[in-house]
Amino acid sequence: MAGQLKVGGNIIASHSGVEGAGEVTLQNVTLGDSAVPSHSMNFRNKIINGNFDIWQRGDGPFTTGYSADRWVDQGSGATLSMSKGTFTNGQTDVPGNPKYYMQWSITTGNDNSRITQRIEGVQTFSGETVTLSYWARHVSGTLPSGGIKANLRQEFGTGGTPSSTVYVNSDNISLTSNWQKFTTTFNVPSISGKTIGTDGNDYLGVSLLWQLGNDTTAYSIDIAQVQLEEGTVPTPFEHRPYGTELALCQRYFYIFDSTGLDDLLYFRSPYATGTPPNTTASVAHFHPVTMRASPDIIATVNGGTINRKTSSNKVVVFQMASTNINGAYAVTSYTANAEL
Amino acid sequence: MYKKYKKHEITGEEIKAIHRIVDDASIPFDPANTSYQEYLAWLAEGNEPLPPDEPEQSEEPNA
Repeated sequence: MAGQLKVGGNIIASHSGVEGAGEVTLQNVTLGDSAVPSHSMNFRNKIINGNFDIWQRGDGPFTTGYSADRWVDQGSGATLSMSKGTFTNGQTDVPGNPKYYMQWSITTGNDNSRITQRIEGVQTFSGETVTLSYWARHVSGTLPSGGIKANLRQEFGTGGTPSSTVYVNSDNISLTSNWQKFTTTFNVPSISGKTIGTDGNDYLGVSLLWQLGNDTTAYSIDIAQVQLEEGTVPTPFEHRPYGTELALCQRYFYIFDSTGLDDLLYFRSPYATGTPPNTTASVAHFHPVTMRASPDIIATVNGGTINRKTSSNKVVVFQMASTNINGAYAVTSYTANAEL
Repeated sequence: MYKKYKKHEITGEEIKAIHRIVDDASIPFDPANTSYQEYLAWLAEGNEPLPPDEPEQSEEPNA
């Protein structure tokens, strides 16, 4: 068909006027201004590390807290472990050639058991329709009789008089031993009329594998390629560059390690010998990215004793007595944690 | 359990962080920090942090 095609309504793909008779190939298509998507197609996945590529804390198993970057267990009352699973090279069960997945193993079940990602800002997707998609399989054990579901949780933070938490639940999912893609569409409640805390720690929580009922049986589930995006259509999983994904994770947590350095980042005194008060030596490290908040700092040194560690969202400064610096002391590793 | 840091040896001001003893973490006084929120909740329960260690004796003369 030559010439210009203008369409004022929906397009139904057809061939020779018979729907479903074959493929339609579009060439040299120019989209008019009104064809701009209603929402961004870049960075459309609000889940960070949905592909489970980043494991700064190690490969596990972890029994509490964070495991893969940005993923935290909320298994109060349950005993569990989380660890890094590796796909077989060339597998096609889960498309897009993912390398890793999350192994979620419940030893003693509980109705609080779930794995969560906290998305910064309770405004996220307020009043919008979103689609959560992920791949999962049942590996072993007996799944809880009450079922398993996902949910979204609007947390309004602390400070002042923030509004109470708002939940939106999915239907139960039916897992099998084969990898399956699960899709749930949520209508995220509007936060209009709500009050957000003043402390800057509000978030939208996305919880998966939430056990219903108090079965205490053991079971294991693998999960991969988690995506939360605007709209009702589960688009193919968004693969972002590794460096980009790592930087997104480091806004919330990172580890400094001096392994591989021939010289260390030594404490130094800003004062000349004998200049009073001459009792302080320090060393500063800049975070790889600006962090969400001033992080907690846990550090190790190659000798001496750190008097204090102070941090902002851009830098951390370690301090010890200047009388120690002749020992060539340095910070050899530390973690910076600004998770929600 | 928490412990206060010694005041700054030069400025004499309070350090805007607290030492969490269980994991040797330094918790900054940033309201957006969730560990700081836990510390505030701990204080609200009527707890008090330990006082700072005694100042170290410098091996170098200060004057």
